[in-house]
Parts: sequence; structure tokens; C-alpha cells
Amino acid sequence: MIAITIDKLVKKFGDAVALNGISLPIEPGELFFLLGPSGCGKTTLLHNIAGFYLPDEGRILFGEEDVTALPPHKRNTGMMFQSYALWPHMTVAKNVAFGLEERRVPQAEIRQRVQAALESVQMGPYAERKIAQLSGGQQQRVALARALVIRPRCVLLDEPLSNLDARLRLEMRSEIRRVCKDNGLTAIYVTHDQKEALSISDRMAVLEGGRIAQIGTPEQVYRRPKTRVVADFIGETNFLNGKIQSLDGAKALVETNEGLFEGFLGDPDWKPSAGDSVSLSIRPESWSLRSAPAPMNSVKGRIGESVYLGEVAQYRLQASAHDLKVFELNPHISARGQGQEFFAIASVDDVVVLKS
Amino acid sequence: MSRQFSRLVFLVTAVFFALFFIWPISETLCGAFTGSDGKFTIDYIAEVFRNPLYVEGLWNSLQMGVWSTLLAALIAIPLAWMSDRFLFPGKSLLGALVLVPMIMPPFVGAIGIKQILGQQGALNALLEDMGLLDPAHPVDWLGEGRIWGVIVLNALHLYPILYLNVLAALANVDPAMEEAAENLGCTGFRKFRRITLPLIMPGIFAGGTIVFIWSFTELGVPLMFDFTRVTSVQIFYGIKDIGGNPFPFALVVVLLCATVLLYAGSKLLFGRDSHAMMAKATSQGGPRQAGLAMGLFCSGVFGLVTFLAVLPHIGVILVAFSTDWYQTILPSGWTLSHFEAALGHNLTLPSIQNSLKYAGLATILDLVLGVAIAYVVVRTRLAGRQILDAMAMLPLAVPGLVLAFGYLAMTQEGKPFAFLNPTIDPLIILVIAYSVRRLPYVVRSAAAGFQQTSVTLEEAAQNLGCPPLRTLRRITIPLIAANLLAGGLLAFSFAMLEVSDSLILAQKQQDFPITKAIYELYQLLGEGRFVASALGVWAMAFLAVTIIGTSLILGKKLGAIFRA
Repeated sequence: MIAITIDKLVKKFGDAVALNGISLPIEPGELFFLLGPSGCGKTTLLHNIAGFYLPDEGRILFGEEDVTALPPHKRNTGMMFQSYALWPHMTVAKNVAFGLEERRVPQAEIRQRVQAALESVQMGPYAERKIAQLSGGQQQRVALARALVIRPRCVLLDEPLSNLDARLRLEMRSEIRRVCKDNGLTAIYVTHDQKEALSISDRMAVLEGGRIAQIGTPEQVYRRPKTRVVADFIGETNFLNGKIQSLDGAKALVETNEGLFEGFLGDPDWKPSAGDSVSLSIRPESWSLRSAPAPMNSVKGRIGESVYLGEVAQYRLQASAHDLKVFELNPHISARGQGQEFFAIASVDDVVVLKS
Repeated sequence: MSRQFSRLVFLVTAVFFALFFIWPISETLCGAFTGSDGKFTIDYIAEVFRNPLYVEGLWNSLQMGVWSTLLAALIAIPLAWMSDRFLFPGKSLLGALVLVPMIMPPFVGAIGIKQILGQQGALNALLEDMGLLDPAHPVDWLGEGRIWGVIVLNALHLYPILYLNVLAALANVDPAMEEAAENLGCTGFRKFRRITLPLIMPGIFAGGTIVFIWSFTELGVPLMFDFTRVTSVQIFYGIKDIGGNPFPFALVVVLLCATVLLYAGSKLLFGRDSHAMMAKATSQGGPRQAGLAMGLFCSGVFGLVTFLAVLPHIGVILVAFSTDWYQTILPSGWTLSHFEAALGHNLTLPSIQNSLKYAGLATILDLVLGVAIAYVVVRTRLAGRQILDAMAMLPLAVPGLVLAFGYLAMTQEGKPFAFLNPTIDPLIILVIAYSVRRLPYVVRSAAAGFQQTSVTLEEAAQNLGCPPLRTLRRITIPLIAANLLAGGLLAFSFAMLEVSDSLILAQKQQDFPITKAIYELYQLLGEGRFVASALGVWAMAFLAVTIIGTSLILGKKLGAIFRA
């Protein structure tokens, strides 16, 4: 188990700055996610950690060792590629054995370790198959076995599930977490799928335009996004625009044209002052629909379209200046007819005040 | 891979081209523009245009180039169109067979075609037999100057190059383009002329250029036809006194300039509004099943073209087996003795050995250089990699005759490369000559392989601890083996049947490659053409075995090899 430290990393492609001073401390044994919209630099960062790109500035440490200038084949990382990158001219067993052969492991041990690795991903009977004879999910398992069999210092996963169908994705994501935790591996996982990140990560970093927008546990990032982009990218949300009326430590009172709101500042280091324009982020599931207003954090509106999904209903609430998304768990949709007037009310803890 | 490696490849390639591409050409230029007093002069060039013999030669060369290219286009474009649009009976076999002429030695075919189309040939005998022709006035099908024989043979040899280019271009045409034309009321041939043809023009141009340069400076075929009033042959005869005579130099320079001018001119005309950069087809049209009549028609055309293209070589085979063949449809008697004679002749076995050695070494050199160049061009971000790519393609634009002459000029006594003089030992200079001209094919096919192979397959190997060079050997090379084999095979076949370098650079009998041996045997009185044909058949059989063997090993159809 090693810690991975990224220190002020800068990578440019010509004039374009792909990574703009990224610093990340990743704990030993942590399953760490890199998340962000496409073009944010997450894959570039992973390729720098794997050694396929040399950064223009900054350092990468594996434990105490500076690996910044180390070529990829000397880093001893196990990488899983988005396309799996399984070699079509080799069998499943040959693919998995490759890394061990490069490490000059004795033949008998190779055979034994390959078999064990394949069995650990339930691919034991497929050792002699050609890659082309495997389904997508099977290829994914082989790629995982190939990355892990060399007992790498850390695992790098580059959108490993993006080519699988929805059901397999659910199954494989817990499988990946189990394997990483069983082997005590530090893992860095790149994805654009927030559900993947929220469900299995220990911590995640959200990247935005080559910089880190936020680092935190899934709950920290979801409940207290630091920027509008993070709030928008992770989960669904409603933005309300307003002006700060007064501040009380981490809390702020905000005047909007839907009424007065109280909430917490998303970024604790941010020091706004009264009169500043801000955005409020309120998740659709934070609202509750009532027939009477509350003194604060309350919006009056009429039900627009509604979508009934069984366990949840999604409403569009037409307020005076905003259309709000409101999710209701265990819904009684017949009591929420179109055009009916309701008050959507959010608790102080669910209102996040952000720079607009 | 490391930056040092890409730089090394760039450096090695640049030096190689400077020494064996730029140098020979500039040596030739010097010879043409330096007077006996060592000062600059344009007298020799001017004299070329004053001498009616040389002017006629140039005129004939031009005709040879233009008509061969047009005829090849006339054959290739309809074939490619049919192959792109229709599925017809026997398509995969015919599609492969139609490429075979490319690797048949056309100058050997000249022996066969003379036998068939000559005044005392098979065709006239057939017509007389049928009572269609008066035996007293036989028709000379080849024309008085024999130039039409040369043109037809060139076209039948070179059309596959155009065919492959046009086929590739057609595959890239978005079917929606033609559907849009039809939707607006433009159909049939009009649609082909207004929409399809302009879209595939870059492909036609690319293939046409190669065919033109090739036939414009073709040496072997006119030599075998004894058609001497053409520049290439005039240069060949002038070489004997290369030391003292400036006119071969001047002729080569004129030929080179004409090639460059014609190339640039036609590029202005046809290649200007290149649509090649356009996006790939958005939907795959794919060929559709042809109706019975159309299907049979397509098969018929493919069969006919293949038959015509192979006909000269059938003639060669017949000659090789015949006791005599004069004024009859088929040879008047059959024998195997020419094959024994061919094998028994003291030229033959060494020449086969030599050809294998030269062509084999040249192919290895091409593969090493070609893979390295393609790797740098496709896989690295080295500044100047486009220059490297362009450099590797240059030999396509320069006639083999010009280069061969340049090599001879640069290895004359007193020159820095005199130690490579082919009269001492032509091995090195011939291997270099063979490989330079075939490098483009290998670079192209290797580059295609790299492009088709995802870079993550290489990254995965490095991630698992495999250093870059070993990754190339364990992962990349096996994955692009088919492309390398195709490129290498093409290079090897072309090298085995190479004419101008072989005729010019191999000067001692024990160093002759097959092609020069065939030429020398053909010059022998009496039995000459029979023995030469027999050796030609040996060469063809040898090539056929190589190619069929490789395609069997590869488990691919013959055509797929050349399409890579």
C-alpha cells in the first residue's frame, strides 16, 4: 500500500493547458476517483501518473519515490484501459501472463498466478480462448486480471466500465471495489459517471478546466459542492439567483425574487460580503411540497409536468421566476394535479450558497 | 518511444536519402551542366533539343507515358467502379486475379506478345485460318514503330496500381453524395461524371501519376521490342561510354525535368481542388447484389481484362515449351528442353541466386527503415515528421532510370563513392537502388498498420513493464504483421522483376540478376527467345509460389494482401 502524491502538476499541449497546477494527496489503500466533464483533464492526469505523458512542471510521488521522469514500464502500475487494450493475437492466458513474463517470473509460478488471477475474476475456464471470442463483460474481467496479476503498486482505471451495459456496470463496479480492497491497493479511477463515483469511491476529485474544483468524500461533494460546476455536474440541482443580505459564520441569508433563503456557504474558505450576487443550489429531492408557506426557504409555484417513476415522482414546479425540479419519494401523484398550487420548502442544511 | 529514438530515425533516414537519393541526382545534374572545361554550360541540354534523334525519342517517351496512362485508366476505372458497386459471381477470386499482372514481368511478356501479335504471329495465323485475312498481306498489329505494343503492354501491366487507388477512393465516397444527386434528378452516367468522378479524382491522380512516371521512363519493354527511338533506351545505350559522353547525363536531366514538370502541371490541373481531406463516408453503402445479366457482365469484364493482361505471359509460357512457333496459331511442337537449357546455361543459376540475394536484402532494408519511419510518422509528435513522410514518398516521383543512372554516375572512378562501383561488386549499390524505390510501399503499408492498431495496446504492454523496443517486437509487429508482409512482398516482387537498375547497374556476368540474364539470353541468336522465355517462366513460377505460399500462411485471400 502506497500513498500517491501529485504536486503542482502542469501539462501543456502546444498552447493548450491541459493540467494547470494539479495537487492531490491520495492515501494508501484509497479508492480515489477523478471526475469531471469531458476535456477537464482527468484522462491526461491519469496518463501522467501512468507515465505515458511527461508533465511540463510538477512532481509525482509513489510513496517517497519521485517517479516523475520514470518511463511507464518501470512504474509498476496496473492499468485498465477504457478499450481494455487486450491483445488480439494472444489468448486470454497469454494476455494475463504478459506482465509476469516481462518480470522474468519462473514459468511454473506464472502458470499458477495466471490461473489464480483468472479464477479471482471468474474467468478460469476461459484461459485458452481468443480475445475476440469474449463478450464485453468477460474482456473487462480479463483486463482487470491482467492489471492485478503483476501485483502493482497501484491500480489506474481509465473509464473501465463505459463500454458495458447498465446491468453489468452495476455488477462490475462493486466487483472492482471488492478486488481493490481485498488486495489493499491504492487505486485511481477516472470516470465521467457520477453514479460510479458516488457509489464506490472513498474520495473523489472533481476537475474543471485543468484545475481541481473540489476534493472530498462522496457525501461532502454532493451535499456541499464548492462551485456551481461541481453542483451541476454531480447530481441534479436547482439554481436560484439572489443577493446576500447578511452573513453569520458559515451561514448566509440570501434575498431572491422567490423569497428569503438561509443556507450554508459551499466553500468554507470563501469570504463574501453583504450585497454580493450569489447562486443557491438546492437538490430536487431536498424540497418538500406543502400547502402552507414557511417563513424562509419557501417557494410558491404551480405543478407543471410530472413524471411518475414508482418509487419517486419528478415534478416541474413553475414559480414566479424559476422552473424548479422537485423529486418526491413515495409519491401520491393523484394529489398533485397539474396547475395546483404548492409551496416547496427546503431545510437550511440543504441550501448551498455559491459564487454565481 | 523515446525522443532520441525518433530523432535517430529521422537522422538516419535523412542521411540515407541525402546520400542515395539527392546525391545521385545532383551528380547527374553536375554531369549535364558541366562542360569539358569544368565550367557551367547548358550546351548539352540545348543539343538534346537540337538533335532530331533525341527529340524523336522524347516525343515517343511522352506518347508512351500518356497513352499507357490513359489506357490503364480506361481499364482500371470501370473495373473499380463495378467492384465497388456490385456483388457478382466469382468476385473475390476475380478481384484477386485482376491484380496478378502487377507482379508479372512485362518485359518478358514482350516476348509473348510479339509471338501473338507479330506479323508471323498467332493472331494472324488464326485469322488466316478462319479466312478473314489474306496470307500475302499480314497485318502488323503492333504498328510500324512497335510503340503500340509497348503501350498496350505497359497499360496491361500497370492498371492494377490505378485500380487499387480508385477502389480506395470510391470506398471513401459517402453514398449520400450520390443519393443527393439522384434525389435532385441526376442519374446514370451523368451522375458518375458530375459527382463521383470529381470526388475520386485525387485517387485517380495518385495512381495515374505513378503509372505515368513508370511508363514514361520504362526501359525493359521497349528494349525487348527493339524499339530504340525512345529516350530511356537511348540513355541505356549511352551508358557504355558514361565516362566521356555528357549526353546521357543531359538526357536523364531532361527526362527528370519533364517528369517533374508534367507532375506539377497535372497536379495543378487535376489535384488542385483536392477533396481528399473530406470526412469519411458517414454511412456504408456497400456493394449490392447485381442482377443476373449485370453480374455476368461484371464477371465477364473482369475475366476478359485478366485474360488480356495475362495473355502475353501465356505467350511466354507457350514459347518456353515450344520447339518452334512461326505462322501458326499454337506452337508447332512441344519440348521441355528449353527449361533444361535455361537451367544449364551458366547465366541462369547464379542470376537466380543473385536476384534472391539482392531482392531479399533490399526487402529487409526496406522493412527496417519502413517500420521505423512509419512508427515515427504515426506514433510520435516529432517536429518534422511530415517531412520524413514526404521524403519516404519521394522515390515514387523520380523515375528508376534516373536514379539508376545517378548511382552509376556517383560511383565512377575518382568520385567519393567509387568504392561502390558496380563493376567491382554491385551488391551494395543494387540493394540500395532496389530498396530506395520500394521504400514508399513499405512505409505506406506499415503506416496503415500503425494507424489501424490502437496505441493503447502498446501502452498496456508498457504499463505491464515492457520497455518500448520490446513492445514493438512483442505487440506491435505481430499485430501489423499482415501489413508488413503485404508491403514486404510487394517490395520483394517488384525488386525481383526490377529492370532499369538491374540492366544499368549489373555489369559483370556473374553479378547479373534474373532480369538482366533474361535480357542477355534474349540477345542470343537462335535459341535465345526460347531460353529467355523458359527463364521468365521459372521467374514467374517462383514468384507465384512465393505469393500464394505467403497468402496461404497468412490465411488471407490474394487480393487482401495487396489491399492491406
